[in-house]
Amino acid sequence: MIQAASFGEDLLRGILQGTPPGTVYGLIALGFVLAYKTSGVFNLAFGAQAYVSAAMYFHARNEWEWAIIPAFVLSVLVLAPAIGLVLERFIFRHLRTDSALAKLVIAIGLSVALPNLFELIVGFEPVAGRTPEGIVPDGATVFYDPFGIYAFSRNELAAIAVAVLATTALGVLFRFTALGLQMRAVVESPRMTELNGIRADRVSAFSWALSSLFAGLAGVLIAPRFNTLAAPDFFDLVVVAVAAAAVGRLVNLPRALLGGLGLGILIALVNTFLPPLAEDYPWLTPIQDNLTSAIPFVVLFGLLTLWPAIRQSKGQADPLSGVDPPPPALAALTRSATLTRATRIFAVCFFGFVGYVVLTQADPSWLFVVTQAVILATIFLSITVLTGFAGQISLCQGAFAAIGGFTVFQLFDRFEAPVLVGALAGAVLAAAVAALLSLPVLRLGGVWVAIATLAFAAFFDAVVVKLPFVGGGGTSLLQGTRVPRPVIGSWDLGDDKQFLILAIIVFVVASLAVIQIRGGTVGRTLRTLRGSEVASQSIGISPAKARVTAFAVSGFLAGLGGAMLSIHQENVNYASNFSPFAALFWLVLVVSLGTRTVEGAAFAGAGFLLMNKVIFEGAFIGWILRSPDRIPSFLPVSPKWLFVFFGLATVQFARHPEGLIEHGKRTAHRRIERTIEARAAKRGNSERTPDDEPAAGPHPEGAMPRLPCWRPKESRSPSRSSSRSTRSAWRSTRASASG
Amino acid sequence: MEVHPGERVGLIGPNGAGKTTFFNCLLGILKPNRGIVRLDGDDIGGLRVHERARQGIGRTFQRIELFGESTVREHLLIAERVRRNDGRLWKDLVGRGRPKPDEIEACDEVLELLGLGELADEPIEHLSLGQGRLVEVGRALMTRPRVLLLDEPSSGLDRAETADLADTLRTVQALQGFAIILVEHDVELVASFTERAYVLDFGTLIAQGPTHEVLQDRAVREAYLGTEAAQP
Repeated sequence: MIQAASFGEDLLRGILQGTPPGTVYGLIALGFVLAYKTSGVFNLAFGAQAYVSAAMYFHARNEWEWAIIPAFVLSVLVLAPAIGLVLERFIFRHLRTDSALAKLVIAIGLSVALPNLFELIVGFEPVAGRTPEGIVPDGATVFYDPFGIYAFSRNELAAIAVAVLATTALGVLFRFTALGLQMRAVVESPRMTELNGIRADRVSAFSWALSSLFAGLAGVLIAPRFNTLAAPDFFDLVVVAVAAAAVGRLVNLPRALLGGLGLGILIALVNTFLPPLAEDYPWLTPIQDNLTSAIPFVVLFGLLTLWPAIRQSKGQADPLSGVDPPPPALAALTRSATLTRATRIFAVCFFGFVGYVVLTQADPSWLFVVTQAVILATIFLSITVLTGFAGQISLCQGAFAAIGGFTVFQLFDRFEAPVLVGALAGAVLAAAVAALLSLPVLRLGGVWVAIATLAFAAFFDAVVVKLPFVGGGGTSLLQGTRVPRPVIGSWDLGDDKQFLILAIIVFVVASLAVIQIRGGTVGRTLRTLRGSEVASQSIGISPAKARVTAFAVSGFLAGLGGAMLSIHQENVNYASNFSPFAALFWLVLVVSLGTRTVEGAAFAGAGFLLMNKVIFEGAFIGWILRSPDRIPSFLPVSPKWLFVFFGLATVQFARHPEGLIEHGKRTAHRRIERTIEARAAKRGNSERTPDDEPAAGPHPEGAMPRLPCWRPKESRSPSRSSSRSTRSAWRSTRASASG
Repeated sequence: MEVHPGERVGLIGPNGAGKTTFFNCLLGILKPNRGIVRLDGDDIGGLRVHERARQGIGRTFQRIELFGESTVREHLLIAERVRRNDGRLWKDLVGRGRPKPDEIEACDEVLELLGLGELADEPIEHLSLGQGRLVEVGRALMTRPRVLLLDEPSSGLDRAETADLADTLRTVQALQGFAIILVEHDVELVASFTERAYVLDFGTLIAQGPTHEVLQDRAVREAYLGTEAAQP
């Protein structure tokens, strides 16, 4: 009887304890579902929006010493909807008909850019240990204990009340009002909605303002839970909330709230009942230490991979999507052979010159940064293969890279294995893990692949890293996961220059392999799958086999790069190198610059490490002006601009999924070819006699002489106008076919 | 429904009759509620889409399905490579994944047959809808199908192009001996191209037999034109 009473009491305590955090998860999940229902965007930037409002509230209260109400009005009722309206007007309005994947990438970019932009504008700096206040007076100090088992703070009660009210109000809005119906219709097909006389722009703007307001409200309500107000914590919370939202298949508001509540209670119950069991069964101790924090990620991964209903909700298709013209062809497909040769010669000369300057002129600090950039470029090639070739968004490349680093560490630490052998073993292990992970994940498709990989990254971060045979346990992580630099015969890689040469060799070999894959069967197979999965299958291509191969190659490259990074730094340095949030920025960088080419990865590596030093700290201007003293006073600028710049640069992904580098190349090639054509035409005209001149007026395009070397076939490299006319012809034929 | 090697069979019916759904069931994109799909007497119901394609079911699509960022020839090259089952990662890595001369030759033969030889190096984005449909046909032909499923191939083509396509298909079929199932709204094409026809209406088979007889069938005329219009 005593045991039964104790069990019942523990159970009730667990439920009550889990209710406040569960409500927090539910609140974020509600906001996430609201954003998805009303905008069709898998808005991972929701956490960043919540952070901005929470930080604004905190700043207004503490720095400006505003009262609760004006601070709340500014941060939640003014700033949050304003952010939503700006995002809708300048970004998402133009992406309505783009793929869910494109919108997800942009949301990831915004989740990096928004917090940094806010901190730069307002001058806000997260300070460790300063817990933010809630929106009710004495929220953290006044408690109520209705059952005599667990005392709720005022802040917690406020969060619970708001969550219940919000769910009811949103439910009424969607179920009983015309506006709610219009909001859902605009997500389904803005063009169809407009054909019914509804102004999709206005409805969409309202949706964004509402969901953003909700993000702000959730932000200020949950902020008191953190010891320090920092953007990565809010991002982690969004991942947890996605698990709750997945319970409602991203569309059901009450289920999302209940999912969050259930998650909170589950964690509390595990925390209540597992410790006594671990006393009797010692093998449970490591699980108790590590698994509880990972429950949301395990739940999310399990829901995604085991619940068929999720797989069936891959996304809606706009009924009018067939009228969209196809995207323009890549530069490499349309440029002439001569221009291709010229581009390659220029690239070799450029990188050769840079390599020569670095190896002969650079001081140790520059050598370090350049080596890091080259190694990161190797890791970024893994994104080139997976995102650029296979069209899959993986948010766990950091985990694959960390597997490479930890393998080197473990093999050296336990067996004193040569580190370069360890690096290869790490790459192979990362490839194997990636291939295994891809088996359940790839059945999902679309944005769910990204979310499942994010759940894996979070699980790796919360649990796997702390295991003794991975990160060496908590002690090793604190003391350092040391990896020495090797010496191969007379080649001492302890010397920075020598290590840079090794890093360049590895990058060049990896790049050549990636180029071969792109031009080979695997690359072409992946390209066809990206173009049309069903058509690929109809000619005998197995999507699973092709994508597992892509995941394995990607894992290998990330593992190899991660091992090289660890050897270079002589330490795995997991938290600073490979955490999920850091890896998120990798994706943002590569997507901004170009996922489909090796140049994109190379420039992303350079951008990540060199842009700060070269541009933002003024080294380049100092070099041009021949003296560091002449660097303008506004330099150096904050390195946060790097995150803002690349985060916002993902916006161009929807228009130019090939990236800024490829887009720039295509534009440059077009201009060069036009200039040459114009010169050739001029020369041709000047050589004619007056009798040969055509009648006054513009030359018909067909009369222009063409140089065979630049345009072997007239149709091979169409001018912009002809390309446009082809696309408009396509549009009209598709429209008539749909009609 | 039964189709024999070298035969051309039409599958017609009004919109929503289930013609494309039937094709999707044959290729394994959808699972039929009942019925068995056999190829040369073997039940292929347990095979996945790509496995059925390798067994010899080729297909074009009502809503055109092409591969972006590829040229016309590349569409056929990848189909040829898959048919040969010659793609391996290690071959790519050592530079043996690039198109081989005999593969290019095989593709160019089909492209010439379809009148697409001039467009072989053209990015697919620059093609008209009609040309795109021909590329789909060429891609399906590269798989050396035993049964070719054509889903409204004349959509987007003018009369002359449609007639040319029909002639080309007859020629290739005579060479390779595969069967063709044609879903088509162009009754003229169905009448001139197919020997037998099946008619579906809201998922029900309402007529079958020689094409010219089926097209005169009262039930068929009612399904297509309505009861009053079908009165003599």
